[in-house]
Amino acid sequence: MTRYVMVADLRRCVGCQTCTAACRHINGTPPGVQWRRVLDMEIGVYPNVHRAFVPVGCQHCSDPPCLDVCPSTATRKRDDGIVTIDYDICIGCSYCAVACPYDARYKVSRAEFAYGGEGMANEQAVFDPRRINVATKCTFCVDRIDAGTAKGLTPGVDPEATPACVNSCIAQALHFGDIDDPESNVSKLVRDNEHFRMHEELGTNPGFYYLWDAAGEEEK
Amino acid sequence: MKRPTTTPRQVEKKPTYCYQCVAGPDLLTVSVSDGVAVACEPNFNAAEVHPGGGKCCVKAYGLVQKTYNPHRITTPMKRTNPKKGRDQDPGFVAISWDEALDTIADKLREIRQQGLLDESGYARVAATFGGGGTPTYYMGTFPAFLSAWGAVDLGYGSGQGVKCYHSEHLYGEFWHRAFTVGSDTPRCDYVISCGANLEASAGVVGVWRHSNARIRGMKRVQVEPHLSVTGGCSASWVPIRPKTDAAFLYAIMHVLCFEHPLAALDVPFLRDRTAAPYLVAPNGYYLRDPASRKPLVWDTKSKQALPFDTPGIEPALRGLFRVSGIEVGADNETWQHDDIEVRTAFEAMCDHLAGATPAWAADICDVPEDTIRSVANEYLAHAKVGETIDIEGITLPYRPVAVVLGKSVTNGWGGYECCWARTMLACLVGALEVPGGTLGTTVRLNRPATSRFASVLPDADGFMTQPLNPTDRERWKIKPKSRNAYNTLVPLVGDSPWSPALGPTYLSWLFQDKPPENWPRPTLPDLWFIYRTNPAISNWDAPAVAERMAKFPFIVAFTYTRDESNHMADILLPEATDLESTQLIRMGGTKFIEQFWNYEGFGLRQKMVEPQGEAKDFTDIATELSRRTGLLENYNRAINKGAACTRLSGEGYDFSLDEKTPHSPEEIWDAVCRAASAELTDSKETDGLDWFQKNGYKFKPFPLLNWYLYPRMVEQGLRFEMPFQERLYRVGKELANRLHEHGIEWWDTQLTEYQALPAWKDFPGIWQKAAVADGGTINDYPFWLLTARSMQYSWGANAGIQLMREVAGNIGGHAGVIINTDTARKLGIEDGDLVEIRSSLRATKGHAVLRQGIRPDTLLTLGQFDHWAMPVAKDFQMPSLNTVAPMTMALMDATGSGSDLVRVGLRKLDGGRS
Repeated sequence: MTRYVMVADLRRCVGCQTCTAACRHINGTPPGVQWRRVLDMEIGVYPNVHRAFVPVGCQHCSDPPCLDVCPSTATRKRDDGIVTIDYDICIGCSYCAVACPYDARYKVSRAEFAYGGEGMANEQAVFDPRRINVATKCTFCVDRIDAGTAKGLTPGVDPEATPACVNSCIAQALHFGDIDDPESNVSKLVRDNEHFRMHEELGTNPGFYYLWDAAGEEEK
Repeated sequence: MKRPTTTPRQVEKKPTYCYQCVAGPDLLTVSVSDGVAVACEPNFNAAEVHPGGGKCCVKAYGLVQKTYNPHRITTPMKRTNPKKGRDQDPGFVAISWDEALDTIADKLREIRQQGLLDESGYARVAATFGGGGTPTYYMGTFPAFLSAWGAVDLGYGSGQGVKCYHSEHLYGEFWHRAFTVGSDTPRCDYVISCGANLEASAGVVGVWRHSNARIRGMKRVQVEPHLSVTGGCSASWVPIRPKTDAAFLYAIMHVLCFEHPLAALDVPFLRDRTAAPYLVAPNGYYLRDPASRKPLVWDTKSKQALPFDTPGIEPALRGLFRVSGIEVGADNETWQHDDIEVRTAFEAMCDHLAGATPAWAADICDVPEDTIRSVANEYLAHAKVGETIDIEGITLPYRPVAVVLGKSVTNGWGGYECCWARTMLACLVGALEVPGGTLGTTVRLNRPATSRFASVLPDADGFMTQPLNPTDRERWKIKPKSRNAYNTLVPLVGDSPWSPALGPTYLSWLFQDKPPENWPRPTLPDLWFIYRTNPAISNWDAPAVAERMAKFPFIVAFTYTRDESNHMADILLPEATDLESTQLIRMGGTKFIEQFWNYEGFGLRQKMVEPQGEAKDFTDIATELSRRTGLLENYNRAINKGAACTRLSGEGYDFSLDEKTPHSPEEIWDAVCRAASAELTDSKETDGLDWFQKNGYKFKPFPLLNWYLYPRMVEQGLRFEMPFQERLYRVGKELANRLHEHGIEWWDTQLTEYQALPAWKDFPGIWQKAAVADGGTINDYPFWLLTARSMQYSWGANAGIQLMREVAGNIGGHAGVIINTDTARKLGIEDGDLVEIRSSLRATKGHAVLRQGIRPDTLLTLGQFDHWAMPVAKDFQMPSLNTVAPMTMALMDATGSGSDLVRVGLRKLDGGRS
């Protein structure tokens, strides 16, 4: 089996938002719709303060709460773990947005553009009316993965088959690959490092791992 | 609204570069769909050659919106309201290119008839470019036009000196050919960073290298008043009191020199590669051999003073000695000494640092003594003194420790002291210009700019030659070449093409209304070109600068959107922007901020979409201006000589342009591409524009050894000019003599910086005194207001790009002024409240952003805002330090720089929560 997951190395991330901007570009999302974004978090009280940058977005859960509440079956999970939304089926009820513990879903009710009006030429070129009044979220750039794998490319290794946020990351903080393949890049990273998954206690089995330190020898 | 078509769109990926900030260039590809740029991506093909994996930073993703921004000026325009000022509507109306260019050309011809210099000796034409030189990578062949024209005053600043690493530029090049200074990050294990906000300012390559280093285990200690993005990515944060970094660094030096045996330091490096053993005579100059006039050292073998370069000697590093010799001071004043007691320069430095204990610094810096001592000990422990590393077959010292400095640490009062301490800390453990250590990147004041090593030539004292502006009576220039007087007042800045922009650029603005005594009458330039610069919001005391530029008679602004500076312009010229025009530039080698490449060569920015409206390729504009001004031949000749990237002819190739006819941008850049290709391949390849449009770049290997200056110093038997600054001390004395001979005393405070061993002064007190100079008490201004880099906005007009605004909002501080949470609560200020920040000058307003990661006595504004004309940005309600920071002589150091620092009061305003 294959399960695609994202890995974010919190030691590397600098919060630059390059992934956010790259996602907006490649996926043509409207202003304010950030399928990938990076939180800027402070921990502690002056002078003992730490600052952490945490990439977030759809966690492509193995047991996704959004799927359970979807009345139209628009939200589905593929065999490779990617959670998808069929815009032709979605009725825009937003139950999924409420159910998602990761605040990962968006819905816009009208076309919105960076500077208003009818949109700039670049916005017109990528505008997709099917995304109005439906839920949207990170797709793991599923189109790239499908097109890439069809050419025999490996997601997470070959840029043409890899999500835009991972491709863009200037700190090599974001990684992508098949966690079911023990030899994959992500499996090695998870094996070699201390990690956690967000809100794992909710039983969502998220497909997004956060690395925070090197693992001890006995843990590898 | 167009709907998606069922016809497959034709999508092409075109390579180009992004050089919006000095930490570039980076490489990227842009997807062009049916002639419309739609998305940016890294250039994956360049992953091997580009030191940041072929990636581009967040700003490059703004280029698509930048292209289609509806607020762009897309036709030439002229002003119809002769009155200028912030409160005046310029009344811009569209005109044809012919009218615009003819108007400018008429003005230029008229100026030429009058003479290039005015009655005060200043150039009648001035030009200001922002962004640390990056506009050069977007202005096509305009440098060839300027070259063809002749004298141009480049001395009107837009913020440099305060916004740049100014002292580092000047002292860095002086000491180790380091216009900027960085760590050898791939090999470094321990970095002391005093405010160097690398994760925001070092670009893709800096982020890439430091990310790898963190995983490898490199430890970085971030010393700064607020917890920056970089602090967040560091092993620890030391919240130091603003402007006290010199005391912190001096205390670290003290620990190394007084709490460890000499043998723990790199004695061979200090003895053989620095001036530490040179003997210092009573008047503060080296003791010299009467015959050769060379500095003397004490030879421990023969027990006598000998010239430093006597073969076979072993100079003493420490000690007092009784010797005879001469001492040569300013203006060749000479003293004969017989059997006097002298000490080594190292001994003098230790005496100088004796009182700089961690306990002493703790009080000044508000940093615990133990923290300072711990950092010092860790620095020494990580230095691996005595170890070596093999680089390309050469064995070199390996010292994986570095000290890096940020803005407001490297500039303004205290900048000299911090840069000196940083460089000396490297010398103490032999970590200067060796693998793992503290490295320079490139040169801008020394020539040639294409080689960091070509200017490494010996002088008589065993150091590198220095291109200082002369201070002797015969050659010193009382008449400045520029309105900022760089060549008259700042010996260290030299006289390269970059020097005018690195002089005391505020003086051009400061003297405009009120010239000092015994100084040429200030005149305004008859014509001022501005491009990718906005001094009306980016300079110290920005509102005053806006008022002063409003008095300029004729301003030509190469314009993207309306902004605060082109608000005063007479002609707006819309240039084809980043994705709409063509240019070839040099890339690779070593360059600021952490651009250390293993390749060097050339990269192309290509026209991939049609320009919006009537926007015109800058090269086209330059050619037309040259033609209409009667300078076409000179202009083409300048291009042939290399004013557009590289010479068009060399050994085995000649792609020179016919000098008598105008050429299209395509013709010009094709010739440049072919020449560059030939230059790179010893004429084996002559690839033209079409090849570069397809491939984007052409490189050849750049030796790793060329990252380090140390081997060149060894080859030539040279010493780094540390720790004792005899030359600068002498130059300062001579400059004082020259100025005083002409009755000029208003530079006396600045002259105090010329010390052989820079002493700690109450640097914070300088700003505190300035705050109350015109009345009030310091209690009226209880806070330090600082600023920090925003990667998303810096630079390139990104304040008007919606995408940059949007994503910057995810990072704390981009919504207003950062205030310590407890401090704010004591003042009744909640997150989002509208607050007023008031200095002795005026106030700026913004919304409170409450954070724990900032000192209680410090406020922080990111970037530079307070826009009042630029579309989109003028609605931000973002405060700006530039509005409240005074521009005064008291805050200007000897290099002509200041700091982004001002004392302010803070109060909540009614209403207006964000």
